[in-house]
Amino acid sequence: MADKGNDPAVIWQTMIGEMEKGFNSFANQAMASPEFSKIMNQAGGAAAGAQKQFGEMMEKYLLSMNLPSRAQLVGMAERIQAIEGQLNEIKSLLQQVHHNSLAPEGGYGMTPRPPRTRQPPPEGEKK
Amino acid sequence: MNAPTGFDFASISERVQTEVQRAIQRSIKGVEYFSTSGPTLGSTPKDVLHSRGTMNLYHYRSQASEVYRVPVLIVMATTNRGYILDMVPGMSFIEFMLKRGYDVYMLDWTAPKPEEKSLRMEDYVLDFIPDSIRRVQQDSGEKEVSVIGYCFGGVLSLLYGSIFHDGPMKNLICFTTPIDFREMKLFSNFSDRRYFDVDRLIDSTGNMPPELILQSFDMLRPASRAAGQIQLWDNIWNDEFVKSYRMFDRWASDILPLAGEYFRTITKDLMWDNKLYNDTMTVGGHEAKLENIKVPLLHAVAEHDHIVPYDAAKHLITKIGSEDKEEVMLKGGHVSLVAGANAIKRLWPKLDTWLGKRST
Repeated sequence: MADKGNDPAVIWQTMIGEMEKGFNSFANQAMASPEFSKIMNQAGGAAAGAQKQFGEMMEKYLLSMNLPSRAQLVGMAERIQAIEGQLNEIKSLLQQVHHNSLAPEGGYGMTPRPPRTRQPPPEGEKK
Repeated sequence: MNAPTGFDFASISERVQTEVQRAIQRSIKGVEYFSTSGPTLGSTPKDVLHSRGTMNLYHYRSQASEVYRVPVLIVMATTNRGYILDMVPGMSFIEFMLKRGYDVYMLDWTAPKPEEKSLRMEDYVLDFIPDSIRRVQQDSGEKEVSVIGYCFGGVLSLLYGSIFHDGPMKNLICFTTPIDFREMKLFSNFSDRRYFDVDRLIDSTGNMPPELILQSFDMLRPASRAAGQIQLWDNIWNDEFVKSYRMFDRWASDILPLAGEYFRTITKDLMWDNKLYNDTMTVGGHEAKLENIKVPLLHAVAEHDHIVPYDAAKHLITKIGSEDKEEVMLKGGHVSLVAGANAIKRLWPKLDTWLGKRST
């Protein structure tokens, strides 16, 4: 086999790796400046502002079309979620009651669990 | 003296032959790559113990004939999916822990829905984690629980431990957990309070969009995604490389949104005021000082972590109140510390040795 120093594939991979490192390091230096933060956040802020205005406009449009807005659907989802939460609580209470009253030690229909007796292997022993 | 090897015609012909074979393989495997969906991740058998909105508590089915007395609860980072710790069989941290005799639970997250935008830090620290611990206690029949927190899951575990310092947490393991947020230099600059209007962003988006989080992660190493794709093409003939690339790439792009109010607190209290490091952090009126934590602590950090640099994590060991504490720095990056070949060799056995003797 040709030695690694002359292998074009290895040279190519090393070059890509070095370029990646160099570019990352250069970009990190540039991104650490307050100017970068200012420009990045101005652009981000403008996009968020535009999104908010568009959302408000859509809400008015939906209202005029007699359709529920996103905020109304979110409100409804919140109520459904609260109901789901209560159902979950009831379900777990029922499971507890059922488990306590019916199941013998070890439980019905449940996979038997291993005993909690494990000890760490003595120091130096390979597992 | 070595003879020059540059004009060894036999080896050049061998090399050309290999390259031609690889070029053919690239074309075949390249088509295969786009027509298949990659390995199934997170497939270790588990039961959903509880699910409520963004919160999911799993219990993994035991794979050992006897288990340690103290169960383990893994608290996942809120920006990422838990399957990073449960890749394919043979490369799954969860599977490793089960085979080594731990009773494993995981608090994992799904994307908070728009209606969950009002979830606060209090909900995570004073409700989701204590609720999960209570359910683990109930399910396992044990009073004490060991907690493992990965990245921001570690921050949440620290906040929990500093408030509920009278128990029932038995041991705490943090993987790459930042406490000094000033030292996360680029994130700190991106969220500079002079230019980053977090209120305006959250008021208009509700939850913090995952695209913005992914973008900020990518910006830490802007050339790496493109370089990764070149590497993928170079190695597409290699099934193992492709499998590993797909697993990690899928996970890294699978970012969760963050609940709006929760993100507001992270930005203001942690990024801007560095309250956890300054011992001024409170959650729901409860003081969260690291010195309150007295349980045994293992903090694993990565030598080449570009997301949580060592300087952001190093003070945990000095600020924590525990007497039994250890920091271990391992080779690797933020992700390769916990998953992949590097983790199998380094972190997992270290964790097993440390936790095993504290789990009886």
